[in-house]
Amino acid sequence: MSKLMYSCEQAAKLSSRAMEQPLTPAERVLLGMHLMMCKRCTNFTHQIEFLRRASRKIPEVLEKDAG
Amino acid sequence: MAEQDDLAQSLEAHRKYLLRYAQFHLRDPSLAEDAVQDTLIAALAQSERFQGRSQLRTWLTGILKHKIVDLTRSRGRGLPADTLPLDEDGGSVAAAFTAQGKWVDAPADWGMPDAALESAQFWRVYQECCQRMSKRDALIFSMREVMGLSSDEICKKIEITTTNLHVILFRARLSLRSCMSKNWFGTKHE
Repeated sequence: MSKLMYSCEQAAKLSSRAMEQPLTPAERVLLGMHLMMCKRCTNFTHQIEFLRRASRKIPEVLEKDAG
Repeated sequence: MAEQDDLAQSLEAHRKYLLRYAQFHLRDPSLAEDAVQDTLIAALAQSERFQGRSQLRTWLTGILKHKIVDLTRSRGRGLPADTLPLDEDGGSVAAAFTAQGKWVDAPADWGMPDAALESAQFWRVYQECCQRMSKRDALIFSMREVMGLSSDEICKKIEITTTNLHVILFRARLSLRSCMSKNWFGTKHE
């Protein structure tokens, strides 16, 4: 049974990997189940997606600084 | 010849930005200087390939990205040395979770974080948080997230495995989110 449930560490690691490559169907289901029940990991997933959006803006920020 | 001089002058005007860009990724003033120097030389050498000055900065930044990547793997300099062995996470992932795999520092809701993108103070905190990562992690993270290189490109160019890349990016994301939570999202600011 516990094999079917990801820990937060496993879920977070997969959320990060999902930004790099498609997960397997099984991974997607298990991650989805974990995220439905876990606000913390859902927050984490949103945070790393936000950090990607922010990072892409760094060139603009450096441009402002450099004039 | 006059045209060549013109270009040299325009290039000089972008130098400051290019240096900031290189320094952000490399965190090493002399390496950053080298990358920019190489970029400007390459730009002058290929100036006939460049038409339409309005895009000059974009074109230069494109060259600079390659120079930054090249510098980190050629000339025997390798990636910045202050780093951990590639396959290990040096305990920083382990420290983020308990032995049972639960969060030590549980991610709180950041609400609508995009408003922060307009704040100069936010970007100072962001840049400071990037500095807390090892140079290598920060560089690989920024190659992926700032330069927007694909995972495959990064693995090929700096010769690491996909698994290593995933470990490094996970570690970098944990570190950055934790630092931003403590220093921006968890605090009051204007």
